[in-house]
Amino acid sequence: MARLLRDIAYVRSGDKGDVVNVGVIARQPGDYAALLRSVTPERVKALYGDHVRGAVSVYRLDNIDSLNVVMQKALGGGATRTLRLDQTGKALGSALLRLEVVE
Amino acid sequence: MKDVVRLGSGSGFWGDAPDPAMELLDRGGLDYLCFDFLAELTMALLERQRRKDKTAGYVPDAVTMMIDMMALAKARGTRLISNGGGVNPRAAAERIAAAARARGLRGLRIAAVDGDNVVDRIDEFVGAGIRLTHLETGAEDFAHHRNAVVSASVYADCSGIIAALADGADIVITGRVSDSAPYVGAIMHEFGWRHDAAHADRIGAAITVGHVLECAAGASGGMSSRFADMPDMGRVGFPLAEFHRDGTAEITKLANTGGRVDAFTVKEHLLYEIADPASYIMPDGIADFTTLRLSESGPDRVRLSGMSGRPRPDTWKLLIGYDDGWIGEGMLFVPWPDALGRARKARETLLQRFERLGLVADEMQFDFIGIDMLHGPAAPAPQHEMNEVGLRVAVLTRSREQAEKVRRACANLWIMGPGGTSFGAPLKPRPVIAAWPTLVPRALIPQTVTMTEV
Repeated sequence: MARLLRDIAYVRSGDKGDVVNVGVIARQPGDYAALLRSVTPERVKALYGDHVRGAVSVYRLDNIDSLNVVMQKALGGGATRTLRLDQTGKALGSALLRLEVVE
Repeated sequence: MKDVVRLGSGSGFWGDAPDPAMELLDRGGLDYLCFDFLAELTMALLERQRRKDKTAGYVPDAVTMMIDMMALAKARGTRLISNGGGVNPRAAAERIAAAARARGLRGLRIAAVDGDNVVDRIDEFVGAGIRLTHLETGAEDFAHHRNAVVSASVYADCSGIIAALADGADIVITGRVSDSAPYVGAIMHEFGWRHDAAHADRIGAAITVGHVLECAAGASGGMSSRFADMPDMGRVGFPLAEFHRDGTAEITKLANTGGRVDAFTVKEHLLYEIADPASYIMPDGIADFTTLRLSESGPDRVRLSGMSGRPRPDTWKLLIGYDDGWIGEGMLFVPWPDALGRARKARETLLQRFERLGLVADEMQFDFIGIDMLHGPAAPAPQHEMNEVGLRVAVLTRSREQAEKVRRACANLWIMGPGGTSFGAPLKPRPVIAAWPTLVPRALIPQTVTMTEV
């Protein structure tokens, strides 16, 4: 069985306007390299489909074995305007845990 | 002169629990207890209230908490700083002062800080040639929404807080300062730091620590990926920081409280609601989260060092809230057998009802609860037959009347819909306030301190 991100990472997501970010933290320092391989803008966009309509950036925090995924136009217009129940993108972080780990 | 300041986190949002703050105040040995009550468009809700009643417009919970805590805070030597003044900090301060007098408290100084609320200055800005370009989309057509504006607040720095503390305030209540400004203001005041290049790294450290603390339980196990392992979350301890003059800090919480402070709870919150981690732009400075070192220095104790930053930006964020239609919403829940199939049929039935009712929609969204409501397209198809499935619909319309049709159509399905379906209480149409984030020159946003002594 392929490993999923849920096996090697913790996440936290939130919003600013129509932007959603997902912090992704390696559980073990040794898995940080696998995070870097697995979490790319292309794979993130493919996972979220039309939920994310803008650009995706992935920032590195080598000092804490973590990544920050920033997704533009990702909340249906922002917390107060979106038609989603998850108005602040809190659940989108857990969706990222579905990504298969690139070994 | 102190070399360590002890700051507690008293609230992470309007609606947060007051008991962990009271516990911190009672036995935290704190110099400061700081509170955040404002979400992105809270100011719009408060501005609407102030228009109806000139003495309203602050966060009622904030005033209640200050009133409940002020006697103990004075006794403990802890100063209370919050942004719960909303669009009317002076009214909030007057309310607190009146309660203090009624209780016979003496020698309490209460400061209101304002200047952030620029809802009456937008035309002045436009007249001065400020373009009000949308920060996320680059759109330049703000004029299109000018007449729908409800609120306009600048995320101001901690200058007003520093001035209030220097003037001996026991309680500081502000408008829309940045979420971290209460913490940064307390630290800068204690150590006598200025907003200059020489202090940029240390202010960056203060912003970083403020960011970790500003959502209260967010750094002590709340929202954690390891929530299942977190002890006693219903009795969680909010975090506190021991911030050192040298720009290092330890994050901890009180003994005998729930939750946990460890490397992961702090990392989780460092990453919360940020963009480029090397440029966390706040009105007080630009923090860099990529240089810090983080280590567990004891049970429920995390040490932060190597924090850094750059001087504050010349422009500050202005968030304008404007009316942008209504949302009509409904939910229904279909039981086994064939719950998903019948929920899909209910969706078709609703669409027919919308057509018959002549619903005019700008946007419409259906979710299948239990299937894809939270993860959307990222959710795979279910592998087994569901015990129950919910159907949710949300519709953006131009008017309340149109949004009301969504509620009516959902109610129509009480008898037209699938057998066994449950509806709960109908959801009311709600007005939409959209956000227009932009930038204004810092120099245009002076802050004012109004002191009341009882």
